[in-house]
Amino acid sequence: MNKFLVFLEQREGVVKKASIEIWNRVQGLVSAWPDSAVSGILAGPADIGQLNGLLAGKGVVYHADEECFGLYNQEAYARLIADTMKRDASTVLFFADSSLTRDLAPRLSVSLQASLLSGCLLFNQEGIAGSCFRPVYSGTALASFLPARQLTIYTILSRGMVEVTATESHIDFMTLQPQHVAVSDLFPVVRRIVMRKGQLDVAEATTIVAGGRGMGGAEGFALLDKLAALLGGAVGASRTAVDEGWRAHAEQIGQTGKTVAPALYFACGISGAVQHLAGIGSARIVVAINCDRDAPIFDVADYGIVGDVFVVLPKLIDELQEYLKKK
Amino acid sequence: MNIAVCVCLVPDTASVIGFAGGTVDLLRVNEVMNPYDEYAVEEAVRLKERFEGSVVTVFSIIPAAATEMLRKALAMGADRAVVVNGKEESDPYLTALVLSKAIAAFYTESLPDLVLCGKHSTDFQHEQVPMMLGALLGVSTVNGITALNVSGEMLHVEREIEGGIEYLDLAFPALLSAEKGLNQPRKTSIRAVMEARKKTIDHLDVSIDERPFIHCTGIEPVVRKKICLFLQDEKKLLQLLRHDGVLC
Repeated sequence: MNKFLVFLEQREGVVKKASIEIWNRVQGLVSAWPDSAVSGILAGPADIGQLNGLLAGKGVVYHADEECFGLYNQEAYARLIADTMKRDASTVLFFADSSLTRDLAPRLSVSLQASLLSGCLLFNQEGIAGSCFRPVYSGTALASFLPARQLTIYTILSRGMVEVTATESHIDFMTLQPQHVAVSDLFPVVRRIVMRKGQLDVAEATTIVAGGRGMGGAEGFALLDKLAALLGGAVGASRTAVDEGWRAHAEQIGQTGKTVAPALYFACGISGAVQHLAGIGSARIVVAINCDRDAPIFDVADYGIVGDVFVVLPKLIDELQEYLKKK
Repeated sequence: MNIAVCVCLVPDTASVIGFAGGTVDLLRVNEVMNPYDEYAVEEAVRLKERFEGSVVTVFSIIPAAATEMLRKALAMGADRAVVVNGKEESDPYLTALVLSKAIAAFYTESLPDLVLCGKHSTDFQHEQVPMMLGALLGVSTVNGITALNVSGEMLHVEREIEGGIEYLDLAFPALLSAEKGLNQPRKTSIRAVMEARKKTIDHLDVSIDERPFIHCTGIEPVVRKKICLFLQDEKKLLQLLRHDGVLC
């Protein structure tokens, strides 16, 4: 029996879309494996009703609903996951790639002596746990990695969409007995988190509207905020836009920012330096708007409009508003 | 305060890296200090300037021929450097293991108060070595910090999370890894570079006998080229996006 454990990350009681996506992708992967089972572990208080109809396949989701798991706690989370893996005799652990899992997974890898494959784009099912692919060298190359230990941990990049195939699902939820987690004060403790209001993060968005030098300044990004709001997406930025102080580093896409895999990516006033392209290699559809017909961004775009962003974007916003009205 | 900083070499971002037969050709590549490690060195030097009597030691697993990179860390203000003579490993766990043995061997009596690393190296980008090193040393760790303050016995750090910022407290000894935004690394003056020449570079032999956690089984250049359909009409663009199923 192959047993897989998927970590379901919550923040402020909301289970992350990326975690649900990974659960469903793992279910898709194991459906071809007759002798396998998937379990989930959800740490922290959360209403499980929110998962209705979202989780595909079969399996048990263990819920550690105590307050002490509400905010991320490295030590408590590591113990909870390690105990669950041991109890279930799971051999593979899946995380959605996030700032939390980047902090947690290497520690688990050492304590469980498990192979860790981080930031995977794809993992193939040949002989689970199989190899995974990941961009390296600033996205100029794709490398494949193979786990060498009996236990394997994957952190997987989100594609920014939950593929709902949960029509014939059967998920059991089981609240775990209180863990009596006595966590030492010496370990890092999250005192508080401050969320940016009403903004979707680029790492979790299905659609990203990104701007670069061509947006001219912080004010220019107002157009992108508007477009992103209409599309239900997030605003991203090139390194230039961040270094100039027009946008926060959290929004930076590319080599020294985030690697994203949205369904739709708008590059507005972005020339397309290799470091930026590194971050968008897995975007499905790329739309480039730039005044320079020879900008490298057009080499990686599906659709291009050559023109001034301050002329093209207002027209696009108008057309989109029309389209949404009719819908 | 004793501060250890771990640094590594990566190809300069301007270098053209060759890929042939599933491996990397680094012959024509200029190697520099990993940019994230520069943030770690800078933060260590700032702490040294604030806490008198602090000593900053830089560790690196690099070939003897590449020690020039460590001069840069010394010119930025580090006190000494240690070249760890061990097989340069592509496996993050073995790298962390070699570094943990080197740090334990160097600080014979007790662990350093603080270990600083870059969040990841820009070549393989595993983002695993710092947190693994912390686990092996048995110290508290926080990955990817963008701000650091010390008050008394406690460290207060900030980290970017999806859609917000996390504020964390932890105690010494600790290992922190640096994210972009933590600081702006200083430019080194000619005088600092000259002084760095007088500083000590030690060599330390470390041997381990463990198997790797992961194997790299192949590496291929990414062919990114798409055929761009140029449009003049925004309406047409929306129709196409709708047809592709990517419009809400």
